Amino acid sequence: MIFIIEDDPVMAECMALATRRAGKVEIRIFSDVISAVQALDRQLPKLIFLDILLSGPDGFTLLNELSSYDDTSKIPIVIVSSLALADVKLSHYGVVKILDKATMTPTQVTDLVRDFLDNARLSISGGSTDA
Amino acid sequence: MQSEVKRDVDGILVAAHDLKAPLCLVRQLALSLDLAEDTAARARIQSQIVTTSERALKQIGDFTKLARLEDGLFPLEPVSVRGVCDEVYRNLEPLFRYDHRQIILKYHNRSRLAVANRELLGSVVHNLCTNALHYSNAETVSRLEISDRGNQIRIGIRDYGPSLPTKVWRKISRGGIDQPTAVAMRSGSSGLGLYFVSQFARYMHCDFGATRHHDGTSFFIDLPASRQATLF
Repeated sequence: MIFIIEDDPVMAECMALATRRAGKVEIRIFSDVISAVQALDRQLPKLIFLDILLSGPDGFTLLNELSSYDDTSKIPIVIVSSLALADVKLSHYGVVKILDKATMTPTQVTDLVRDFLDNARLSISGGSTDA
Repeated sequence: MQSEVKRDVDGILVAAHDLKAPLCLVRQLALSLDLAEDTAARARIQSQIVTTSERALKQIGDFTKLARLEDGLFPLEPVSVRGVCDEVYRNLEPLFRYDHRQIILKYHNRSRLAVANRELLGSVVHNLCTNALHYSNAETVSRLEISDRGNQIRIGIRDYGPSLPTKVWRKISRGGIDQPTAVAMRSGSSGLGLYFVSQFARYMHCDFGATRHHDGTSFFIDLPASRQATLF
């Protein structure tokens, strides 16, 4: 499962469209941090696309929250924002990539998810071999 | 002097961010056209491109009006408040529906005319309703209401979502917003919209105010009622 946390429904739909092209994957869209955190209590996603400027608690609040618990701190996060964050170091928050809304492309999103799904498959098959 | 420059730069930054958001969206939608699975999906994306472009153009149009305020190019005259609100309601109701929200229009007045400028009043009501669209929670119903208040006519919009930050509420209560202010750190935020409302309301000698609720915000403007008889 992949979470898309984005308060603009049109942008969220674009992200979902690009994500779906990467393969069969369940997607859940949230418009704010609070509803995403509630969903996290029930199921942990394999990847999170996170917008920073949200109404209510912002994306940084969620990063703080996620990094505070063992299970959620391992979830890879891709920040999707129009803020200039290219030079900001956020890897210690589990951020694996920062996409700029002004320059990113749907293909970039699709490739990113595809790579992620491939790696996840590899690690699963690697894990079962070890077992 | 330095603080004034800093204030101006902050205002420009907020405005630039608000104007950048729809452009990012249009670009993303245009790039997504190729991903559309069928004709219906393609048509939907095209329609979203149009709507988002119109939103950006509206904001830029309001900036232009703002720059022309000093020239006094917006005469104040008797305006049908119902007519203006009806038009804005017709334009925005589908957007609310698309976003899984609802807006209703209610009249509690005797259909009097107000002294205002039709173009500026249209922008004021449009910005207040767009603000409600952005800040209301999904599945909620925002209310656009017109009511009589003695010699004034009140246009109010109540939304159900996060409450207005105290900082912004204080600015409105103390006479208005003098520069674009981020209402919340949110892309496409209507901080810019409230700034336009504040400036246009001041020009039309209207009172602009807001009431914070635990489950949202009510914005209102009080317009002087015209003494001219109305046939509507």
